[in-house]
Amino acid sequence: MLQILIQGLLLSGLYALIAMGFTLIFSIGRVLNLAYGAYLMVGGYIYFWVSQSLGMPKLIGVAVAAALGVLMGVLKYRLIVKTLKGDHVAVEISTLILAVVIQAGIVLVFGDSSKILLPIVPGVINVAGASVTFNILIATLISWAILLGLYAFVRLTHTGRAMQAVSMDAKGAAISGIDPDRINLITWGISGALGAIGGVFFASYTQLSPSMWVAPLIISVAVVIVGGIGSILGTLVVAHIVGFLEVIVVATLAPELRGVFTMLLIIGVLITRPQGLFGREEL
Amino acid sequence: MSAALQVSGLVKRFGGLVATNDLSFSLNEGESLGLIGPNGAGKTTVFSQIMGELRQNSGTIELFGKEISALSTPQRIRAGVSRTYQIPRPFGDMSVAENIRVGLMPDDIRRMIFSPPDTERERELALSVGFSEEDLDRTPTELAMGDLRKLEMARTMATAPKVMLLDEVFAGLTTGEIAQISDLIQSMRKDGMTFLIVSHDLPALEPLIDRAIAIERGTMIAEGSFSDVMNDKAVQASYLGGA
Amino acid sequence: MGLRWFHFALWGGLIAGMFLLPQVVSNGTLRTMIFANYLAIFAISWDVLSGRTGYVSFGHPFLIGIGAYTTAILTKRFDIPVEISIPVAVVFTMIAGLLVLLPALRIRGSYFALVTLAFMELLYQLVQVIRPDLTGGTRGMSGIQTLTRGAANGYYLSTALMLAIAVSMWLLMKTRLGTALSAIGMNEESVRGSGLSTTRLKAFAFLTSAMIAGLGGAFYVHYLGSLAPRALFDINFLFTIIVAALLGGTSTIIGPMIGAFFMTFLLEYLRPVLPGAERYFVYGAIALLLYMYQPKGIVELVKRGFKNLSKGRTA
Repeated sequence: MLQILIQGLLLSGLYALIAMGFTLIFSIGRVLNLAYGAYLMVGGYIYFWVSQSLGMPKLIGVAVAAALGVLMGVLKYRLIVKTLKGDHVAVEISTLILAVVIQAGIVLVFGDSSKILLPIVPGVINVAGASVTFNILIATLISWAILLGLYAFVRLTHTGRAMQAVSMDAKGAAISGIDPDRINLITWGISGALGAIGGVFFASYTQLSPSMWVAPLIISVAVVIVGGIGSILGTLVVAHIVGFLEVIVVATLAPELRGVFTMLLIIGVLITRPQGLFGREEL
Repeated sequence: MSAALQVSGLVKRFGGLVATNDLSFSLNEGESLGLIGPNGAGKTTVFSQIMGELRQNSGTIELFGKEISALSTPQRIRAGVSRTYQIPRPFGDMSVAENIRVGLMPDDIRRMIFSPPDTERERELALSVGFSEEDLDRTPTELAMGDLRKLEMARTMATAPKVMLLDEVFAGLTTGEIAQISDLIQSMRKDGMTFLIVSHDLPALEPLIDRAIAIERGTMIAEGSFSDVMNDKAVQASYLGGA
Repeated sequence: MGLRWFHFALWGGLIAGMFLLPQVVSNGTLRTMIFANYLAIFAISWDVLSGRTGYVSFGHPFLIGIGAYTTAILTKRFDIPVEISIPVAVVFTMIAGLLVLLPALRIRGSYFALVTLAFMELLYQLVQVIRPDLTGGTRGMSGIQTLTRGAANGYYLSTALMLAIAVSMWLLMKTRLGTALSAIGMNEESVRGSGLSTTRLKAFAFLTSAMIAGLGGAFYVHYLGSLAPRALFDINFLFTIIVAALLGGTSTIIGPMIGAFFMTFLLEYLRPVLPGAERYFVYGAIALLLYMYQPKGIVELVKRGFKNLSKGRTA
């Protein structure tokens, strides 16, 4: 029981971190970035390359991954999203194509076989009979720190409030002197960084493989859909629903069924409450 | 004899806002009624409720004595009421003829497949709203605003309505185009069509209607002949003060 | 846009050309053509729904998979002859299509795409754990009865199937029904405002699409003789289908066909240079660039080209 609780909390924290960047884009631009999972993957691989192949310090690995995430986010906004001018279906299709291109690119550079990432922070601690790796513990703590930081950023800074305004009403925000283009660009950048950092931890939790982007994408989609558009709180709550569901299913039913309830949750919520469980809130 | 369209006690609330407040009016067959009021008075909301695009909170809508509130929009159109939109909504990649074809289709998949389109009737409708033969193959992107309104009229007429609701038919039109659409409405009135017309262009509206009602914030404030309504104190106050 | 004699002449030419092809090309090319044929079937299926009505399906492998699994299980596990198992598979796929359809009637745009994606992933996971004695679990199934022997026969069968589907869909889409479906993609509200029940039209598009997907999936698995869940319920597979339809040109029949052949042969020609999954890098990059440049696909490019040519002549 306690083990489920601990594992659920840890996994949910990781999921919240993963989903956050996806939620941001969806609330600001109403765009589903289907290449988001690919950010995670690139983040994980870059970290692997810098810290394990080149043997640089781990912190530099994370920093390089985050920087590349920002670059990918910004480039994608400039080259694809902006060019397609709000045609959501076209953006989804082209981001899906992009995801496959990135996947193939990863195969090209790093090869087909999966790679094991050494734990970012090695060590195991025993909590009430449950062994918890420092790695996932740190991931969860960092995830909470990032979420709190993001919340503070959105609430307290000028740019954050402008992001809120754009997410509520892009035209209205433009009239009151906010440049939605700039805000979008910043959001895509932040989202890319969050994705890449999330990817480092996700990869250390599972492993690196060229098809690893699908699972986190589905989790992000579930969190956004079930949580409703653009609510940081909703994201946090639903990440916990998804995380705990998974841990409980693995512990009590079968490990292979871990994703089934996530899928059923997506389908069920979309059919019954297309606006999400928490409705449409501001960021 | 029952009225062509009878709206009784219509109420529509959006949260705390009352968009339609106990509105009742009736329209006899062959009659043309103007619906006027300042911006945001709730005219389009009334149209949407008659067409079933919005459901009223209470009140009834009868078409030729039959209550239609439970019907879907397509069913209401089959029952004989059709509307145009303030902003024309054509099918962007289709020719004028194909746009009209959609309006002419039976709501029956088997007949859509097995009986051919009535190109003669498409042409007739297009010409009757003032298109030329060459316009038939044009797409909406090549058309001016006036032409888009004509197309909207033609597609609405294609559904063979007995009652037509026209929403701001003159917005964005040149004087020549206004005259053209007015002529079209006049000739349809002669043929016995029943109209409910919303327009801000009051001088253009006046000759097209038999009677007018004025609403403000969803409530009817005046009813009668066009000049009676326009001379009504409440109406003048709403136009001067409200807008 | 009525039926004209040259339409039939073009179809006749294409059919004749495709059936004469085994006389001139190698068996290797024929095998590539077989894959192109099946891809064309799947792309047509996708286009009937998504290209026309604008309801983008990310779950077509779900439909194809149901068709493939049904007939594979029936023939291999229960020794039911293909004459029965394939029609049953098609019906099953249509029922599954209806299941996906129920939510689709309420939701649009991105959300619809996501529901279909979720269905695909759901089936992928379920197929591996529920009754693995029937489905073959994670490893899938092999030794499934094949319908033809040799490249030429496989080619004839797949070509006949693909052309039959293409021609009948082309005829269907030439009718007012096709116009109505395309109209939904352009402005669903206006279709309702023209007195047409869009729910029924969408249901019809769904069922037609599911029928083609089931048919294609069933014949495909009886050509391959094996199936594996990861190959079937795979985003790469989905991607290949969608890209074929988009590249060729949506809302047409010839578009998905051209797209399917273009993509299959592109992948094939890349094989000597890039033998593995990295081929998708070039393939995807070309797809992305072409899509960004001309979302309406190759068909539209050719049309514009012709227009410019004839303009050039008259001017």
